[in-house]
Amino acid sequence: MAGMRSQQPILLVEDNPDDVAITLRAFRDAGIPNEVLVARDGTEAMEYLIDGPSRGAAASPALVLLDLHMPGADGHEILRRIRADRRTRTIPVVVLTSSTDSGDRSSAYGNGANSYIQKPVDFERMIELARALASYWLVLNQPHEMRKDG
Amino acid sequence: MNDVVLIVDDSLTVRMDLVEALETAGFRAVPCATATEAKAILEREQPALVILDVLLPDADGVDLLRQIRESANALLPVMLLSTEDEVSDRVRGLQTGADEYVCKPYDTRYVVSRAHELVRKRLGAGGPSRPRVLVIDDSQTYAKALGAALEMEGYGVIDAPTGEEGLRLAADVRPAAIVVDNVLPGIDGATVVRRIRLDAALRGIPCLLLTASDDEGAELRALDSGADAFVRKTEDLVVILARFKAMFRRAAASSEAPATASLSGPRRILAVDDSETYLRGLADVLRGEGYDVVLAWSGAEALEMLRFQQVDCILLDVLMPGLSGNETCQRIKADPALRDMPVILLTALEDRQSMIAGFSTGADDYIAKSGDFAVLKARVRAQIRRKQFEDETRRIREELLRMEIETGEARAAKMLAEAHAAHAEELERKNRELEAFSYSVSHDLRAPLRAIDGFSHAVLHDFADDLDPQAAENLHRVRRAAQRMGELIEDLLGLARISQSDLARSRVNLSALAQDVGDELRSKHAERAVDIAVEQGVETEADGRLVRIMLENLIGNAWKFTAKSPLARIVFGARREGGEEVFFVQDTGAGFDPARAQKLFQPFRRLHADAEYPGTGIGLATVHRIVDRHGGRVWAESGIGKGATFFFTLHGVEDGRHA
Repeated sequence: MAGMRSQQPILLVEDNPDDVAITLRAFRDAGIPNEVLVARDGTEAMEYLIDGPSRGAAASPALVLLDLHMPGADGHEILRRIRADRRTRTIPVVVLTSSTDSGDRSSAYGNGANSYIQKPVDFERMIELARALASYWLVLNQPHEMRKDG
Repeated sequence: MNDVVLIVDDSLTVRMDLVEALETAGFRAVPCATATEAKAILEREQPALVILDVLLPDADGVDLLRQIRESANALLPVMLLSTEDEVSDRVRGLQTGADEYVCKPYDTRYVVSRAHELVRKRLGAGGPSRPRVLVIDDSQTYAKALGAALEMEGYGVIDAPTGEEGLRLAADVRPAAIVVDNVLPGIDGATVVRRIRLDAALRGIPCLLLTASDDEGAELRALDSGADAFVRKTEDLVVILARFKAMFRRAAASSEAPATASLSGPRRILAVDDSETYLRGLADVLRGEGYDVVLAWSGAEALEMLRFQQVDCILLDVLMPGLSGNETCQRIKADPALRDMPVILLTALEDRQSMIAGFSTGADDYIAKSGDFAVLKARVRAQIRRKQFEDETRRIREELLRMEIETGEARAAKMLAEAHAAHAEELERKNRELEAFSYSVSHDLRAPLRAIDGFSHAVLHDFADDLDPQAAENLHRVRRAAQRMGELIEDLLGLARISQSDLARSRVNLSALAQDVGDELRSKHAERAVDIAVEQGVETEADGRLVRIMLENLIGNAWKFTAKSPLARIVFGARREGGEEVFFVQDTGAGFDPARAQKLFQPFRRLHADAEYPGTGIGLATVHRIVDRHGGRVWAESGIGKGATFFFTLHGVEDGRHA
C-alpha cells in the first residue's frame, strides 16, 4: 500500500493468548507489513507507547488496538492512562472487544477512544477488519503530530 | 318520574285512604276495584308495585297474584291485603309469591314504608347488572382513581363534587352504594350520610365515609352520622376497596334476608289456639294494642306459617289436638332460624307440674288463660321488649364482629398488596440478574468461538496440501458450526438488550422505517425481485430503535420465506380494530401450520428446516419481547403455502384509551 507508515508498528493490548494469535494471524493474512507489538497489560502497553525502541521495537506505535475486558487494569483504565499522558495523548486508539455493552461503549468514547469495533467470530471477517483498520488508520488518516523521537 | 302503585281493592274507603297516603309519599297511585280492571291496567301501565286485596268481587286475589307471577312481569312486587287473618290464607299468599301480607285493619304508615322498601328492592334487582356506586368527593383526581378502581371491580360509578349535588344524584339514580368524603366544600360527608338516613327512600343505601385525618374523633363522628363503614382516606386504595366490598356484600346479604318484623312497622304476634272464641277475643284485644296479629288453629299450622314469616312474639295454647303447645314450642326452640322468637305458653291449668314442663320445652313465659287480658298484654309487651333488646344486643355484637372482620380483611388485603409488591420486586431483581448473567455468558462464549474458527482456518490454510479432503471438510464443518453459534449468541444478546434498555417513546413514522428496512434488503439481495408495498403515513408513539429492530425481523422474515414464491410480495400497513391501531406485515411466502402459531414466538422455535430457510429462531422472540415492552400484542395468521400475516399493536389497552 502506497504511503503506508509501514515502518511504524501497531500495538495490540490483549491478554487472551488465543485472541493474540488470531489477531496476529489476521494481520499477516491481510498482508499488513507493519510489525504488531503485543502488550498483555497496562504497564507493558505504556512502556511500548512511551519508548518503543527501548523494548526492541523499530519505532513507537502508530495505532493502539485495545481490548477492554482484562484482569487487573482493564482497557478502560489503560485508555485513561494513555489519554492522561502528554506523550501518548494523541495516538489513535481503536477499542477491539467482544463487548457490545452500551455502557462499555459510552465509557470508551468518554475516555477518548477513536473507534469502537466488535471482534467478529468469523476469521475471514477478522482478516477484512485488519485490512480495513490498516488502510484507514495507517494510510487515510492523518495523525495529529508526526512523532520525531523514533 | 314517580313510581306507579296499582291498588286493587273493592272497598272505596281503602282505595281512598291508600291513594292519599301513597301520593303524599311521592308515588302515583292507580286505584281499581276488580281483578278485570287490574289486568287491563297492568297491560297499559308499568306499575312498580301492586297492593292487592285477597277478596275481590270477581276473583280471588291470590289467583291474580299467581297470574302475575306466571306473566312476563313475574318480578313485580305484590303486597296482599286481607281481612282473612287465618294462617292458611297467609301461607297461601306468601307461597304464591306475595312480597308482603298485611291484615286489615292495616297501619297506613306501615303500608307506605313497605311500599318504599319493595319498590327500592325491585330497582336493585331489576336494575343495571353493574351496581352503581355514587362517589362524592371534591378532589377530581381522587374521585377518578377511586372510580377507576371500582369500575375494575365491576361497579358502575357516578360522581359528584359536592354533598348537595351528591344528594340530588342519589335521589335521582338511587345508587346501590355511596362513598363520600367527609371533607367537602359545602355540607360535609357526615351530614350527607345523615340526610340519606333521614330519607325513607334512600336510607337503606350503604354508605362508606372517607375520613381524611388521623383524628380519632372523626371515626366516632362517622359512625354517629349513620355511615355503615368508614375508612381513612390516607389508606391504600386496596384497603379502601376491601372495606367497600365488605360493606356492599353485607348490605346485599341483609336485603335478601327474610323480612323480620320491620322496625318501623307494627309488632307481629302469632296466636295459636284451637278455640275459635278465645282466639278471636285475644286477637281483638291485641289488635286494639296496635299489634299485627296472625292466627293459627294448630301447632302444625303455626310451624308452617313461621316458615314464611317471622314474628315478634308467639302465643301458644298448651292444650291442642294434634301437636301440643309444648311440642310446638320444642320444635320452634330447636330451629335456629326461629328460636329467638319469644314463646308465651297459654294454659287453662294452673298447676306447677305443667308449668315446669312448659318451661322445660324452652318457652319464655307461661300464662294462665283467663278473661282478663291485662296480665297477658303486659307479658307480651315485656317479651317483645326483651326480644327487641336482644335483637339490638345481637346487632351490636354482630356489628362489633363485622368491624373486627373488616379490620382483619383490610389488614389481609394490605398484607397481600405488600406481599405482591415485594414479590414483584424480587421477580424484577431476579430477572435483571438473569439478563445480566445471560449477557455476560453469551459475551464470554464468543472468545473461544473466535479461537475455534480462527485456528481451524489456520490449519486449513497452513496444511492445505497435507489434509485429505475428508479432514478438510470436517474442519469446514467445525468453522460453520462456530460461526452459527456466533450468530445465535449475537441474536441472544440482541434479545437481552431489548429487555435491559429503557423504553423511549416518541412519534415514530412506521411507514418510513418499513420502507427503509425494505430498501436495505433489496440492496443486499439485488438478485431477488420482491414487491414491497408500504402503506404511507402510518405513525404512532413508540420506541423508534426497538420498532426498527422489530420491523427488520418481521420484514426480514417475510423476505426470507418468500424466497421460493414465484410472485413475492410483502405488504406493511395498519388498520383500526375495536378502537385499537393494529399494524401488520403480510407476505406471499411459505406460511406455516396455524396449529403451531402459538410456538412461533418462543426463542429457538423454528417451524422450517434450516436447510430450507436458515435462521436462529430468535427473530420472532425478539419481536415478541419488543411488542411486550410496549404493552402491545403480536399474533400471526397463516396456512401452509398460503403466506403469513403478522399483526401487532404497540399500546396497552390502558394507554390506548388515552392515546
